[in-house]
Amino acid sequence: MAEARKSMIKFKPKKFKVGDTIKVDFIVIHPMDTGLKKDKKTGEIKPAHFIDTITFSLDGKPFTTMKVWETVSTNPYFSVNLKVLGKGKVTVEYSDNTGEKNSKSKKLKPKG
Amino acid sequence: MKKLLLSFAFCSTMLTLQLNAGEQFAMSDADRAMYQEMLENNPAEIYVEEGGEILEEILGGEEALAKFLEVSEKDLPKYIAGFPRYIKKLGNVVGLDQVMQAMQVALGKEKTKLKSEKMFSMLAYVKSLANDELINIDVEADEHIKASYALGEKTFMTARGGRGLSCNACHSDDIVGQVLRTQPLPDLGEVAVAGTWPAYRMTKSSLRTPQRRFQGCMKNALLKVIPIGSKEMISLEVYIATLAKAKGKKMAIPGLKR
Amino acid sequence: MKRRIFLKSICTVSAIAVTAPSTLLAKEAMKGENALSYDAAVMAITSGKAVTASDKVKLVVPEIAENGAVVPVKVHVESPMTDTDYVKAIHVLSSKNGNARCADVMLTPLNGKGYFATRVKLGATQDVVALVEMSDGTFLRAAKSVKVTIGGCG
Repeated sequence: MAEARKSMIKFKPKKFKVGDTIKVDFIVIHPMDTGLKKDKKTGEIKPAHFIDTITFSLDGKPFTTMKVWETVSTNPYFSVNLKVLGKGKVTVEYSDNTGEKNSKSKKLKPKG
Repeated sequence: MKKLLLSFAFCSTMLTLQLNAGEQFAMSDADRAMYQEMLENNPAEIYVEEGGEILEEILGGEEALAKFLEVSEKDLPKYIAGFPRYIKKLGNVVGLDQVMQAMQVALGKEKTKLKSEKMFSMLAYVKSLANDELINIDVEADEHIKASYALGEKTFMTARGGRGLSCNACHSDDIVGQVLRTQPLPDLGEVAVAGTWPAYRMTKSSLRTPQRRFQGCMKNALLKVIPIGSKEMISLEVYIATLAKAKGKKMAIPGLKR
Repeated sequence: MKRRIFLKSICTVSAIAVTAPSTLLAKEAMKGENALSYDAAVMAITSGKAVTASDKVKLVVPEIAENGAVVPVKVHVESPMTDTDYVKAIHVLSSKNGNARCADVMLTPLNGKGYFATRVKLGATQDVVALVEMSDGTFLRAAKSVKVTIGGCG
């Protein structure tokens, strides 16, 4: 049974108010295979399999888009800032070179 | 023969370079800060979270674990920080992964292999429940844990393998800090092996348990690998835990390692 | 004395390198389908426009990477991030990887700060480069060398 890819969105700091600029951290479990390495067990070259596009959106509106390459580490981490203008929902949509698409969301809840 | 002599000469030069290169390879404060910061976004956290979900699904979560271990849920974290332990109803000194296997057997369920991604995640989750607790293994608690500690110390000190090396050959107090293969040899108590493994290993890009790390080390030192979950491997964990305890270390799972 | 012999004997079986020898470099720079040299990557991004080294771009990388698989990279760009003056893109590149590109990050004023961080693979000791495009079309640059050690036990 194929599971949805596992990922995490973190806001730093955890507590923030409207007007603050916070960090939005995103980690995802993904092999980020370069297509240049052999599988130790089979001896076959593992085909390139890496995340190539990421879009960070706030309530459906993109605020950061990324083009990512196989040179980024396995189980990658990405971090950008976000100015908090009010309550909302941050969504990270990502797709890889096989066409697989996934997304993760986290509610933005400023205090005061 | 010539090739062997050449490689030997090369290695001797490299070795001299290395033993004098302690400073060159010692991590700068700035670098240390960067790697320390990476702990805040450790991919292993995702595996830990997953381990918790699996534990809940197949065993009934920490509530069931506490019940099986006959401790209150409140006391569970501190109790976890004292593993490996002698568990009377299992008749052995065991690790938490073995406890979970026993729970599966008690439920009539199939045992999850100790050497499986599933078990690694579950072990990491359970250990993380004890985060911030002092490592409190008590090797005087009963005759069984006492014997395990003695065996662990013996295993650590015994020279074996093709090159007659023991764990102590590289990890004794007077060797700490010397550079081997570009890495300064660590004080196993100071780096709290018992408190920071399972960890995300960057060179493996995966979650690794302490026993697997020991096996990796043994392979490099040309020592015959001790099986996961064996009496000797558990005893090694017991011994290593006392090193961290002596330095007043706390649980901090998952770790992040080279 | 006895210890020296022990360590020496470990030495003969281990592969040690501070900086990758040329054979390793060539192996790591193997041509994948996305292979692109540093110069070609810069051209693709700037279309030949002038790039100026700037203090406004602060690139944070380790001096010595503990391993080449996971090298932390942080880029801070001084900018008010207003609708008329903001960081349009941060490109992270490496000077010697087969594919010099790591990430192309398109920012907007809503980011609030010109900042991006990630972790990259470095096949050998080389420079990590932050190529920044500002909203006025100018390109800024910062580069730092990262020593990649290949060694360690286990």
